[in-house]
Amino acid sequence: MQRTTHRSHLLARPVVVALAAAVALTVTSCAKSEDDASDSKKSPAAAADAEQKVVTPKPGSETCTIDAYGGEKIDLKDATVGFSQSEKEANPFRIAETQSIKDEAAKRGVKLLTANAQSQFSKQISDVQTLLTKGVDLLVIAPLNSDGWDPVLQAAAAKKVPIVTIDRKINATPCKDYVSFIASDFVEQGRRAADQMIEATGGKGEVAILLGSAGNNVTTERTKGFKERVAEKAPDLKVVFEQTGDFTREKGQQVTEQLIQSNPGIKGIYAENDEMGLGAVAALKGAGKKAGDVEIITVDGTRNAVQGVVDGWISGVIESNPRFGPLAFQTLDDFTQGEEVPQDIVIQDSAYDADNAEQDLGKAY
Amino acid sequence: MAEATLKTVPLDKARVLQWLQTYGVYAGVALLLVVNIVITPHFLSAENFRTQAVQVAPVIIVALGMALVIGTEGVDLSVGAVMALAASVTALYLGYGLVPALLVVAVFAAGVGLANGALVAFVGVQPIVATLALMVGGRGLALVLLPQLEDLRNPSLASLGSGDVLGIPYLILIAAVLALLVAFVVRRTTFGRQLLAIGDSRPAAQLAGLPVRRVLIVVYVVCALLAAVAGVLATARLQASDPTSLGNLMELSAITAVVVGGTPLTGGRVNIAGTVAGAVLIQLLTATLIKHDLPPSWTQIAQAIVIVAAVYAARGRGKR
Repeated sequence: MQRTTHRSHLLARPVVVALAAAVALTVTSCAKSEDDASDSKKSPAAAADAEQKVVTPKPGSETCTIDAYGGEKIDLKDATVGFSQSEKEANPFRIAETQSIKDEAAKRGVKLLTANAQSQFSKQISDVQTLLTKGVDLLVIAPLNSDGWDPVLQAAAAKKVPIVTIDRKINATPCKDYVSFIASDFVEQGRRAADQMIEATGGKGEVAILLGSAGNNVTTERTKGFKERVAEKAPDLKVVFEQTGDFTREKGQQVTEQLIQSNPGIKGIYAENDEMGLGAVAALKGAGKKAGDVEIITVDGTRNAVQGVVDGWISGVIESNPRFGPLAFQTLDDFTQGEEVPQDIVIQDSAYDADNAEQDLGKAY
Repeated sequence: MAEATLKTVPLDKARVLQWLQTYGVYAGVALLLVVNIVITPHFLSAENFRTQAVQVAPVIIVALGMALVIGTEGVDLSVGAVMALAASVTALYLGYGLVPALLVVAVFAAGVGLANGALVAFVGVQPIVATLALMVGGRGLALVLLPQLEDLRNPSLASLGSGDVLGIPYLILIAAVLALLVAFVVRRTTFGRQLLAIGDSRPAAQLAGLPVRRVLIVVYVVCALLAAVAGVLATARLQASDPTSLGNLMELSAITAVVVGGTPLTGGRVNIAGTVAGAVLIQLLTATLIKHDLPPSWTQIAQAIVIVAAVYAARGRGKR
């Protein structure tokens, strides 16, 4: 009965869709956000000295050469490099990571093909396969998951395409399935955050942890390092509260509001990423606290958080450097020329506190 | 068969169930309050109640709209996306001042509501499918407009998020006024009657000559506008526009509040007071578990238990 009357409207649908698309396209042209006049966007030059440095590899750590891997020497300049990004570039870390790869490729004059899996693992697999069929000679992958890479690894091995993975590891045999893995040591980041927390609180009192998303290796490792170091160095510092803030500012704010309500005596908050730390700052401001009442330590090193250190609301930020470009390309360059490269390359992350935040603000991403 | 067994159920049990349907959610809120007063330190303070109320306000506002949609035997999955859209549009247009920005937000939200309503009322798409499309598309659009979190410093937006009148934050006042308004519309206006009639039986409403399509479209537009209000308020509170995470899973929180509050998913009945209480119940539950530092997974399990209990209590009603 209803169906018959609907026929006439079917034609209207494409019109509506087209209209919607037109709206979406024109809407940004007349937008005016707050920052249009002044600008907080940093100049790329400022970031130049923020390149990743490698922790000196332990003697005897495993290396890989092109002979062991089985491939042919090529000159990086004539090569095409494929880069597969895992998550959409919606947070400062991913934006800086992709940008760094692109900048380094441009600097070295290497042809770069990029793909973004938008946080879908199946898409990342097909992205990499597409890159392989497009004929890339080398691959840089920021994996979304550690497992499930077999089909890609086989395809790459068949074409003898060397793979370097960054920021997360692939569960496979190094120097056989992939060449090297370049990343920060998240456990170490947790330990260093604990050091800063111990210093800021004097090693006594009660502290809280704002955990990242559950089931994420970054969360588990940053928690592990922090607790280990606190237990070992400052047994009087007690972790009395551990709740997830899902790596977002909003959840960080909400959880901190509950926390300072029920534990008014809390001395410090360790946020496992900057966004949750900034949420905690918003909660403290909302509760009428002053900067420095509660010591906040965060991990990542985004610009907003380092600015928070300058303003006195955040006591310290441990950096997790996303600028993989130079190191990834250097590794590929060395490898393709026949030199030895380490299988595990750990980055030396820096840190920001009240002493260096202002002068190093340009290094933050 | 089912009816036969229902009739043999002793009267007492039926009465308890009936009571639970109507007052269960309030009893739950009261119980949680008492438990917290006893076991949670610093619970009995104005500051604490203020915190809980401020946190629950956006959920209540979204749930009001959801209750209306569910009253028409529909569901709106796009509310979280509309919140994200409101956040990114606010950030984009704040340069013109707060009021113009809010007007543009309203236009966008109304657009989403119109699309939802048109798909449901004219094209005849199932509400869950129509709004699913807008849920995906809306968040996509929000991210296209503003790909990442942006800090906002507009002073009037900040005061909207953290200011108060006589100690009562704007957020709570706005939520309270909207709740009263929606309750009034449902109970006392022709529009409210028509909405419920459509939820009860759309063909019957159509045969009775009610403006079914118009009412449906208005309901979805109102729901989207309420979600946009919640999005703007949440953004104002955060003083940052975060379309990637704002409103994530909000559709589920809102549906939970509505269902726990005693509004049947089958439409034809809307319980606004219950919806507000349902949102408060979930908020108190979450707060209790967080304050006692229980693992986050417990919160989800506790919510699930509350939902199952609510559905169990509502069981008889569906078979009317």
